Amino acid sequence: MKRVSETLDNLGRSVLSGVEQMGGILILLISTLGWMFRPPLKLRAIIKQMEFVGVKSTFVVVLTGTFTGMVLALQSYHGFRLFSAEGLVGSTVALSMTRELGPVLTGLMVTARAGSAMAAELGTMRVTEQIDALYVMAANPIKYLVVPRIVASVFVVPLLTAISDFLGILGGYFVGVVLLDINKGIFVDNIYKYVELEDIYNGLIKAAFFGLLLSLIGCYKGFNTRGGAEGVGMATTEAVVIASVSILVADYFLTAIMF
Amino acid sequence: MNSISTEAKVGLFILVGLVILGYMSFKVGQTGFGMRKGYPISVSFDNVAGLKKDASVQMAGVEIGRVEEIRLQDGKALVSMKISPGVNLERDVVAAIKTHGILGDKYIEIIPGTKGEAYLKSGEQIARAERQADFDKLLNELTYVMTDIRKVTTSLGNTLGGEEGEANLRKIVTNVRDLSDHLNQAVVRNDEKFAEMISNLRNASVEMEKTFASLSDITGGINRGEGTVGKLVKNPDIADRLNKTLASLQSISDKINEGKGTIGKLVNDEETVKNLNESLGGINRYVTKAEQFRTFVNYHGEYLFDKSNFKSYLDLKIQPKEDRFYLLGVVYDPRGRRTDKEITTGGVTTTQTEYDKGGLLFDAQLGKRWKDLALRGGLLESTGGVGVDYYMFNDKFKFSFEAFDFGSDRNPHLKAWADYQLFKHVYLSAGWDDFISRHGNASLFGGFSIRFEDDDLKYLMTTTPIPK
Repeated sequence: MKRVSETLDNLGRSVLSGVEQMGGILILLISTLGWMFRPPLKLRAIIKQMEFVGVKSTFVVVLTGTFTGMVLALQSYHGFRLFSAEGLVGSTVALSMTRELGPVLTGLMVTARAGSAMAAELGTMRVTEQIDALYVMAANPIKYLVVPRIVASVFVVPLLTAISDFLGILGGYFVGVVLLDINKGIFVDNIYKYVELEDIYNGLIKAAFFGLLLSLIGCYKGFNTRGGAEGVGMATTEAVVIASVSILVADYFLTAIMF
Repeated sequence: MNSISTEAKVGLFILVGLVILGYMSFKVGQTGFGMRKGYPISVSFDNVAGLKKDASVQMAGVEIGRVEEIRLQDGKALVSMKISPGVNLERDVVAAIKTHGILGDKYIEIIPGTKGEAYLKSGEQIARAERQADFDKLLNELTYVMTDIRKVTTSLGNTLGGEEGEANLRKIVTNVRDLSDHLNQAVVRNDEKFAEMISNLRNASVEMEKTFASLSDITGGINRGEGTVGKLVKNPDIADRLNKTLASLQSISDKINEGKGTIGKLVNDEETVKNLNESLGGINRYVTKAEQFRTFVNYHGEYLFDKSNFKSYLDLKIQPKEDRFYLLGVVYDPRGRRTDKEITTGGVTTTQTEYDKGGLLFDAQLGKRWKDLALRGGLLESTGGVGVDYYMFNDKFKFSFEAFDFGSDRNPHLKAWADYQLFKHVYLSAGWDDFISRHGNASLFGGFSIRFEDDDLKYLMTTTPIPK
């Protein structure tokens, strides 16, 4: 009997905390939107975050994009060869990259690199009561800490995605045309034929959403960190896990809505 | 690296990102953006299954536009297209839905119209749309066809099957059998006539035998010393005289041998030998002529379709030289020999025509041949007439024309036919008899001939005196 009530207790508590977190994230989003357009705009802080989230993630994103495109070309080549449609490798790589893999992989990489850093940074500031000090100085921590990060992420992740898309297609072209000897003209022509402008832009819209999600979750987790260095580590881990999962889940719904 | 500021790094990053994005958009959207311009043209199809919005519109495989919209109008699919501004479509172009690629993408192919036609203006409709090869439809049509075929076979089954059909079939078979019987009879009947002729020939030979028998009687009489010749042979007196004659003949020949007297000189003279040689040469030529001499026996029968008559000819062709021949023959015509009688009663002369049925008609002609052309004339069917033969393909094929029975009151009897050598001695012939007759005698005919060279007859002839 005691065990049953304990189980129910745990279940209820986890659901409540889940709902509380979602509510907290939403409140953070709303207050961010509220503070975002309130001057001063703090462009310097935004640019600094852009450098951290975008420029410093470029190398990782370039690597993942290129190799994803290459492996896609290699895999789809073996599939298409079964019915002599090797020419479709190009369009397959391009469509996969622009619609799905570009945004999602970029989102995940940025989460791992920047989202975790946000949670750790803000968490440490919380634990060391720097955020409380900001309150004391009548400076809104959301305005100073959260808004630049979120704005930078929403702008920068789509740009990273564009780079990832392009390099992924380039990697696919390299594998397909140079290594696997698919006819160059057919490869490129099929890309132009089957890839629409919509595919690219919808992928970028997704990427913007992912940027919003990962920065929001990272900031929330860091902002609500409790209890010392251990809490900072926990917050970082949770931020990465929750952001990654929500990127994948949101990807499904965004795809269902947009395509 | 410290010289590069954060702002510069971010600026470069954004620039690179935007350039890549712009490049991709431009490359991918090139056709899409380009096609936004252009003028609208529509076309109505029975079925556009598989055709999508934005599908390519091509002419000769070159994209000239895109499908803008597909909607239903009066049970048909109205497809609106945007055609590139630089492309002019003639008024009589044809639109067709085609498939290409492994994914079976549908596109609209515009088949160019006639040069010089007026161009379609913006917003107008293409008049002709080719129907799409619809597999289901094809199967449906095939089903209809099969149903029709089954109807035919069913009705055939009804006609031929069942008791009535069987009776009909039996009737047909009976008719065929009757027909062949009749044919057989016709052949048999003519066989009899032929047999008759042969028996006549046999009678003739019997007569000849009788002649020979009486000749033999005569020689017998001579042998027995009967009559003048007999006495001459049998009388011993005469024999004695003959002996003496022979003795004196002996002495004469001796004298001749010795070159005595006129004859002796003659015999022993060189000139005599020369003369004799010439004479022998003459005899030789005579014999050669006999070798050239050829005779042919020809039986020819023809069936006159319009008269239902069977006419028979039996000819003997004597050919003393390669280019000259004589034809002797008899003709049996069931219509008979026609004789015209003029009867004068009370100053009015009427002509009465009579037919002597079963009467034989006679042919006696002489002819000459130049290469492939032969002319002949004389008696044809017991009247005066002429004929022309033209030979082709080494005499395997012969075209003949005859005109005879000339009279002031009627058209001459004309006959044209062709012979074809089927086997060595058998010829097939077909032609048109009496084709300008005023009495409705014209008739097509078909027949056959049996023709062979007879050596026995030839030798019989050569032992008789030969003309010239």
